[in-house]
Amino acid sequence: MEKNYYTIDPLGKLSCAKCRVPLVKGKAKFMYLDNGFPVELPVCPVCGFVYVPEELALGKVLAVEKALEDK
Amino acid sequence: MIIEERSSTHVYKQKRMLSKEALAAVESLCVHEQPAYCVAACPLKLDAKALMAAVARGDWAGARGIYEKVTPFTRLLSAGCEAPCESKCRLSSLGDGIEIREIERAVARFGEKAAAKGLLRFKKKKTVALFGSGLFSIFLIGELARKAYPLTVFCAEPDLKSFMARETGFMDGEALAAETETMAALDVDFRFSTNLARMDSLRAGFDVCCASAGAARQAWPGARSDERIMMFREENLVMGCEGGVTAAAFGAKKAALTVDRLAQNLDPCNSRGEEGPCSTKLYTSTEGAERLRKVAAGPEGYDKTGAESEAGRCIQCRCEECIKGCAYLRHYHKFPRILTREIYNNVSIIMGDHMMNKPINACSLCGQCSVTCPNGYDMGEICHIARQNMVATDKMPLAPHEFALMDMLFSNGEAFLCLPQPGYEKCRYVFFPGCQASAVAPETVKAAYKDLCSRLSGGVALMLGCCGAICDWAGRYEMYGETVEFIDEKLRTLGSPEIIAGCPSCKKELSAHEGLRVRGIWELLCELGLPEGAGRFERPAALHDSCGARGDAETQRAVRRLAEMLGCRLVDTDYSGDRSPCCGYGGLTAYANPQVAREMTQSCLQRSGEPYISYCMACRDRFAREGRESRHILELVYGTAAGAPPDISRKRYNRLNLKRELLKELWGQESEKVEREYKLEFTDEALEMMDRRMILESDVYAVMDGLRETGEAVYDSETDYLIARRRLGNVTFWVKYREKEDGYVVHRAYSHRMNVVQRQG
Ligand SMILES: [Zn+2]
Repeated sequence: MEKNYYTIDPLGKLSCAKCRVPLVKGKAKFMYLDNGFPVELPVCPVCGFVYVPEELALGKVLAVEKALEDK
Repeated sequence: MIIEERSSTHVYKQKRMLSKEALAAVESLCVHEQPAYCVAACPLKLDAKALMAAVARGDWAGARGIYEKVTPFTRLLSAGCEAPCESKCRLSSLGDGIEIREIERAVARFGEKAAAKGLLRFKKKKTVALFGSGLFSIFLIGELARKAYPLTVFCAEPDLKSFMARETGFMDGEALAAETETMAALDVDFRFSTNLARMDSLRAGFDVCCASAGAARQAWPGARSDERIMMFREENLVMGCEGGVTAAAFGAKKAALTVDRLAQNLDPCNSRGEEGPCSTKLYTSTEGAERLRKVAAGPEGYDKTGAESEAGRCIQCRCEECIKGCAYLRHYHKFPRILTREIYNNVSIIMGDHMMNKPINACSLCGQCSVTCPNGYDMGEICHIARQNMVATDKMPLAPHEFALMDMLFSNGEAFLCLPQPGYEKCRYVFFPGCQASAVAPETVKAAYKDLCSRLSGGVALMLGCCGAICDWAGRYEMYGETVEFIDEKLRTLGSPEIIAGCPSCKKELSAHEGLRVRGIWELLCELGLPEGAGRFERPAALHDSCGARGDAETQRAVRRLAEMLGCRLVDTDYSGDRSPCCGYGGLTAYANPQVAREMTQSCLQRSGEPYISYCMACRDRFAREGRESRHILELVYGTAAGAPPDISRKRYNRLNLKRELLKELWGQESEKVEREYKLEFTDEALEMMDRRMILESDVYAVMDGLRETGEAVYDSETDYLIARRRLGNVTFWVKYREKEDGYVVHRAYSHRMNVVQRQG
């Protein structure tokens, strides 16, 4: 089984404003400085919009960025 | 516009930042770890400085421990030591030096002996014989017992008491009894009443043989000791010396090392390390040294209180000149030599964590240490070279500097202006106010330019832009080269005029270009006199010298003269002139490490409680942000108060708007204004958050423009926010908003640098 660095569930409260459908838990990948991290994030099943919540961006994502920047 | 992010963390480029010789030369400038004067003077390597500290805090057991590292016979040593340390005491140049030997005597008398830890010590295999008595023998026994050699002592004396009494007549009875006890406690096999003339036969069977000078001559009348290694080579005999207590104790130390070498069948001349007194390059300021008269000792020497008081006078010599003035060095609590070594090693790492990237990027490169350090150590130069090296090897992260670099591109792009004075084609002068002046105080720039135009003849051109300091500080040397070329080319179109700089850092940067003539506006204003409508500031104020004006006496003098003309009463502060610290903007510290930058600002402001006058707009801005009344000298000259410090978006708006207004007012040119079909409103929370997170209003506009094109957004039913995003260059921006009839209300904004993509399978 593939390891996911992070999983977040849309819990039914998020929807795609363009496609008018609820976001679902979907596969995504963070890329930075030639490093990739598979994650599961809220994704629009129609247009593929991947949503990065604020707490994730300022928390885990920022921490990983900082660690990679000093590699 | 976009600056390219480094491609990967897996780049195997390497470049040496300094040659080994250059590194050694730089490191040797830092004297922080040099021994204190008293310590260097002691042939026995007693750490007198630590001893004074222990006594001063009443740690008598600790003091005794320090002293016993030199010898177990502390009563003997302190009674007879010639104390070469005392004349080297730093205080002796101002008043009385510390009474080190008297304090040692007190330590030997009152210091509690550490309880034996019950450690089972294994004796060494090699055996040692020692012939003869006297000071050298006593100290050598102390050394060899500590090294755990099985030791046999042959002497003519009939018992231990008479053995200990030889050559020690300067001790009183009590001290002699105490030292006899110390000797008895050592594990030594004494052979009393020995006929020392039989040394040659008695030594058989011992691995190493030692003798006092007297005993050696009794057996070999012509015996002479080579005092470097304490040996009578011809007889392979470790041999003592004559002389006082200090010479005997030092001789015993050298002899003990020779015993070690001989026991291992090694040449006693090699690998001896540094022996005896050494030189020290230490620097210690005596500023603030207060108690210059010694505490008198009684006929019996000091009691505990007297010794503690005398030891308390010790100023604990050390060089901290750099760290005293620098918030950056204080933050990392590292002295330049160590910091340089760690940075050098960091830059050499190809793979893995670069722990020193943050310190490298946190220095303001201001050069203060190059002035405060008695040897001129320039930590900023090291950090600057390291940054350039990181850029060259593709190890420099873009994140710490990207905002500043983009801001520079903005200054030299959209907000750039370069025009001759209306009515002129070529000009004699060009006013270069600096990017921060236009960003923070556009009205002041406008007033200054109009004043220069009206009072100078030959035409005054105007150039609004960045001098290139930003990319220089970031270590982006290629970009810096391009900026230099760009500015030089623009100046040529104006007829290569003399530059009137409005910012000391610009003056410094531009003066480094080949063939440019640069003057500060403050010098010119001193010559021209104050303009009409000049303000008055008839209150005490602290003048903060800009780090860009370090070593620039002309600028420092002119600004003071100008302040005087304005009626200012300047108060003296520590660290003014060439010793001035950076406000936190220099070296891009404010971007790369806001925390350290803030400590720098606060450190600047600690020097005085008065309002601050500065002559660099970045200083003015940072002091005002910290809540201090803060004025740029040109604000006072032109009576144009810039008011509260602007946020990052306002700083951009100010530059653009200044350009627009000047173009219209002076050159009659109308600028195109971008009209959007929608309106954006920002909540106060959003504005505060954006300033903190370095998100510009223009970034948010770009996100909303994108939204209107693609219609892509997420709706969060829990918060009732719509959320749009857009990748701009190396950053993805997210905006939380609500719709209204003619546009949007922005509630929150955030960003990340990682790119997120969908993945299959
Ligand atoms: Zn969709």
